Amino acid sequence: MKTLAYSLLALGLTTSPLMAEDLTVMTAGDQNMVDYINDYLGPLFEKQNPGVKVRAVGTGPGDAGSQKILERFDAQAGANVATWDADVAVVHEKFVGPMVEKKYLAKYRDQIESGKLVTRENAKMALGTNVDGYVMPMFNSQTALAYNPALVATPPKSYDELVAWAKANPKQFGYNGIKGGASGVSFVMGWIYAFAGDGDKLQQGPFEASEAEKWAPAFAKLKDFTTNATLTPGNAGTLDMLSRGEIAIGPVWVDMFYSWKATGKLPPDMKLVLPAPGMPGQPMHYTIPEKAPHKDLAEKFVNLATSPEVQAKGIVERFNWYPGIDAQHVQAKLDKATWEKLFTDIGPADLAKNGKAFPIAPYNKAILEAYERQVGN
Amino acid sequence: MPIPLLGLLLVMPALVIVLILFIVPLVSSITGAFAVDGLFGFANFQKAFELYSSDIVFTIVIVSLSAVLIGLLSVAIGGYLTLGSNPRAVAILRWLYRWPLFVPFIVVGQILRTFLAKNGLMNSLLMQADILTPMQTTSFLDWRGIVIAFVWKQTPFVTLLLAGAMASLDRSMIESARNLGASRLRILIEIILPQVLPTLLVGLILSFVTMMSVLSVPLMINAQSPTMITASMAFRINAYGDYGVANALGVISLLTTSLVGWVYLRQTMREHR
Repeated sequence: MKTLAYSLLALGLTTSPLMAEDLTVMTAGDQNMVDYINDYLGPLFEKQNPGVKVRAVGTGPGDAGSQKILERFDAQAGANVATWDADVAVVHEKFVGPMVEKKYLAKYRDQIESGKLVTRENAKMALGTNVDGYVMPMFNSQTALAYNPALVATPPKSYDELVAWAKANPKQFGYNGIKGGASGVSFVMGWIYAFAGDGDKLQQGPFEASEAEKWAPAFAKLKDFTTNATLTPGNAGTLDMLSRGEIAIGPVWVDMFYSWKATGKLPPDMKLVLPAPGMPGQPMHYTIPEKAPHKDLAEKFVNLATSPEVQAKGIVERFNWYPGIDAQHVQAKLDKATWEKLFTDIGPADLAKNGKAFPIAPYNKAILEAYERQVGN
Repeated sequence: MPIPLLGLLLVMPALVIVLILFIVPLVSSITGAFAVDGLFGFANFQKAFELYSSDIVFTIVIVSLSAVLIGLLSVAIGGYLTLGSNPRAVAILRWLYRWPLFVPFIVVGQILRTFLAKNGLMNSLLMQADILTPMQTTSFLDWRGIVIAFVWKQTPFVTLLLAGAMASLDRSMIESARNLGASRLRILIEIILPQVLPTLLVGLILSFVTMMSVLSVPLMINAQSPTMITASMAFRINAYGDYGVANALGVISLLTTSLVGWVYLRQTMREHR
């Protein structure tokens, strides 16, 4: 009996490293991103690849999470580490540009099957940097104004109408500034697109520092507008206040809005509107470090994650995100009702017209800092 | 081996850990505040003042105001624990007041975020009691929320120190004052307080430094502008990857705490003399 136990132990010790291969997926974002990989994507991949164990590492919500991944790569590149500690990294759009420029990432999109299902512009350019081939969008998300129809009879269809509405209804519009999450940032970017001219230049470049001078009147207007608005504590804070009836309208992430509604944290009669000339949204990207320990497995993993089936069941049905790959490939895998739920309040035409990108990285920073200077301080 | 050398050897591990984990990062973030494109300069400080002067003032005012309120409340609680005549009330208070000590700051922020909101629990209760009408309610999720969170969390800490000091006083003086007909308030202010003042000061200074470093509460309650320096530092790093200005803000907050730290050191030096 004892010998049997020992030999089993020896067998276990010698074979387990071969049998169990760890695939490390590092992800920025809220807990739901980690849950998505642990509960759904990981088990699915493990079933298809026996002996592989998917390990999800969350680095925290918002830009801070992506910043942590970038700094981790910086450290490993600086120390000349031969194989890095991540196989797949899921990061925000803003951070893939620097990662590609610093040559941290593998150019893998042409190697995987689902690579050709992506044609959208934001898979090629990320805030002004060419990232074509280095990224696969996990999903696209969008910001919009959520409102309470009981308090807002005719929702503002444009920023101009919103300004007029907010004037007539003081403190009924709420947003979270720029330090409390990206929905507020997005509202500010939309404001600049609306009132300071050249949205196309801000989204596509080239960067000219002098452009910032044109924003001053828009920021003065925003400062005035903000005195009439309510400031909320964070992305979730806006939704909280909306559900408690403390504000009537405010900028939110569309996917968060639907998820909160689905779980009953937000009353079912709340609605969305995407005002002209538009508000930004952004994708999150799957990337594979050039020095990933299991590159082949990582490519296989991303291929699965961006396959039409997973995009349909995982991204659209579970999270109410807009798919990362082109919509027509995903639509075929879903029933009509689920698909249409995505477009209940904001139709595909509105989305195409008013769903904008964030400004390219240098403008992004310049606008945030100008806000701090002219509205905040 | 000579004794002094052996002693040095014994403290070496502790010394190395302090050096590597504390002194080195501190020095590197201070020097980082003065580094502008690899050169020495004050641009980071200039920007910090341009963008965040109101945050700096806000932080110092909020933390000072909280410290004053904490001082008043802890004297009141400590005084009642020492002089209270109803043993049951004293026992209940003694049992109750320490609870917030065991609640982390982030949880305090989270609790107050829903409690203090315009239609939050506090206002709902007040409305149900017909004290307020729905039109009169306001949200406390601004500077007041931060002050409430700090006072709620730090008062027990100062009270704990203060009540200990009060309990160890010589009671004969209190008893004789009482025999001569002094009121309890007068005994507290004229006899007890002067004797425990150094302890109170130390408790408040430690609280001041703690409050200066809290990030979770402003993030949960009021991350707009003006907000606390800590929230601005986090934003500087997360939104811009800019450690320079964040370090400069860190140095400014370090200077503020050093100032009160200096008072603390002077106080303890005097006690040990």
